[in-house]
Amino acid sequence: MSRGWITRLQDEISQAWAVAVKDVRVYYLTPPMIMFGLMLPLFLFFSFSIKREIGLEIGLARLLALTTFFTASSAGPVIIPLERRVGTYDRLLTAPMSLTTLLLGKTLVGAFFATLVSAVPLLISILGLGVNLADPGLLLISVPLASLAFSAFGLVFASIPTRSVGNIMMPSTLVRWPLMFISGIFIPLEEMAPWARTLAYFSPLTYAQDLMNHAVLGKGFLNPWIDAAILPLLLILFLIPAARLHHRSRVLGY
Amino acid sequence: MEIAIDIHNLTKYYGDLLAVNRINFQVKQGEVFGFLGPNGAGKTTTQRMLTTLLEPTEGRIQIYGHDLAQDPMPVKRQMGLVPEESNVYTELTAWGNLMFTAKLYRVPPGDREPRARDLLETFGLWEKRHVKVEEFSKGMRRRLSIAMAIIHRPSLLFLDEPTPGLDAQSARAIRKMIRDLNAEGTTIYLTTHQIEEANQLCDRVAIIDHGQIAAIDTPEHLKAAFQKVQSVEIALSPDGGTHGERLKTLPGVSQAVKRGDKWRLYTEQPSALLPRLVEYAEKQNAKIVSLCTLGPSLEDVFLQITGQEIGAVQHKTKTSTGKIRKGGR
Repeated sequence: MSRGWITRLQDEISQAWAVAVKDVRVYYLTPPMIMFGLMLPLFLFFSFSIKREIGLEIGLARLLALTTFFTASSAGPVIIPLERRVGTYDRLLTAPMSLTTLLLGKTLVGAFFATLVSAVPLLISILGLGVNLADPGLLLISVPLASLAFSAFGLVFASIPTRSVGNIMMPSTLVRWPLMFISGIFIPLEEMAPWARTLAYFSPLTYAQDLMNHAVLGKGFLNPWIDAAILPLLLILFLIPAARLHHRSRVLGY
Repeated sequence: MEIAIDIHNLTKYYGDLLAVNRINFQVKQGEVFGFLGPNGAGKTTTQRMLTTLLEPTEGRIQIYGHDLAQDPMPVKRQMGLVPEESNVYTELTAWGNLMFTAKLYRVPPGDREPRARDLLETFGLWEKRHVKVEEFSKGMRRRLSIAMAIIHRPSLLFLDEPTPGLDAQSARAIRKMIRDLNAEGTTIYLTTHQIEEANQLCDRVAIIDHGQIAAIDTPEHLKAAFQKVQSVEIALSPDGGTHGERLKTLPGVSQAVKRGDKWRLYTEQPSALLPRLVEYAEKQNAKIVSLCTLGPSLEDVFLQITGQEIGAVQHKTKTSTGKIRKGGR
């Protein structure tokens, strides 16, 4: 690798970091965002868990999967069209950094936020409720991995050529919510009919839930290393349509 | 003189709508280049293509010898953009905005703070450096937006309508800043529909109309080419509303336009018109408050070329504007 490439790489990493830190300061660390990040997964969890007599550990694994999924994939679809509307996105697009760097910066910040929010129920469960984790080390990598993949997933919707948040929320909701029901969160993979399980494999949430099950409960349906390998692959996979949609935006003028 | 921007057959379609039609021009290094046109003529579309925000349908853009489609990164490092709307982060302070931009453009860490301080002092924002931008006035945001665009010391600065909507003091400060930057060697590409601003600031101007370059030259050469739009300006007292119709019938007057309390009479022979105006005033029992001859202004040239008032939108372009805005204009 030549010196020029090393410098360029250093530049791109610093720029991605600058974008991430700016987004944290401007958009994420605001009371409404934190409340939304914490409350939505909690409400979902209680909606589908009350009176079902599930154990604390199972509940925690579900809650972590839901939190990473909804928190990481929610902010991007709001922020990018908003930035497009007020013109600040043009500032990022004209800066001397690649589109990949910009998308990685945006992915990083969504993942960071989801990891931070996930820490709240995790700490309450461990310190307050005495939940024992089967594999804390695995959990330490699974939460950020899932958050990164889901943040990139949210970025696909955020990249739709529009300046209206409303135009993005509809497809984002239409896709994300059904995924929650087919991903082994409320019906474990092992209890699913074969056709349903096949369907579940198309959902990124399936692999996060299975990995959380391994880390919290010590058992899952798939090999944990398969789950852990698929999540970063999904991250890359989701960045491809996001980049293509950005290119489409450049053609259309958004 | 070296060429900063070289555009060849640049074309942009939005669907079936032709917004920019095979335009060609060059901007020389170190000049202030004005890009004028009525609303919807293709000014902003062209600028967005030049700043990598919009992909051309056809044509080639070279900036400092780099093909923008193939090799945009060296160009991005050398250019700054001040868009029409001040795109500052209102949730951050002025200092926070400048620091973020400096990091984005990889300004060396040791240079960031001195440059930010220098710019904030130059633009009269130093005292407000720790105030969130949401509390700034429009003029302050505009100045901050310009400071953010030049913190990495670009050699090419794009400004899109930098002064409309600002108070006279802010507008004057920004024009001075443009002159100062240019004097320091920065090439300025100014998109505007403020004709007088272009006249005061630009070394050369291009007039775009319906997506095509209608004229390109220095303001003085353009004016010289339109001597037929010389005029005489007269203010009469009492300023009766019926003067216009009567003044228009005077021999040699092609058009009479009311400008405030004055009438501007277009003629090819201003000197022949003067005695007729004196005679007219005597007949009307009106007093001549002021009387002067005027050469063609850049605005006159613009009107002759585009056939419309500044800011006016013809039916055809009105449709296009709506369509283009939807697509990001």
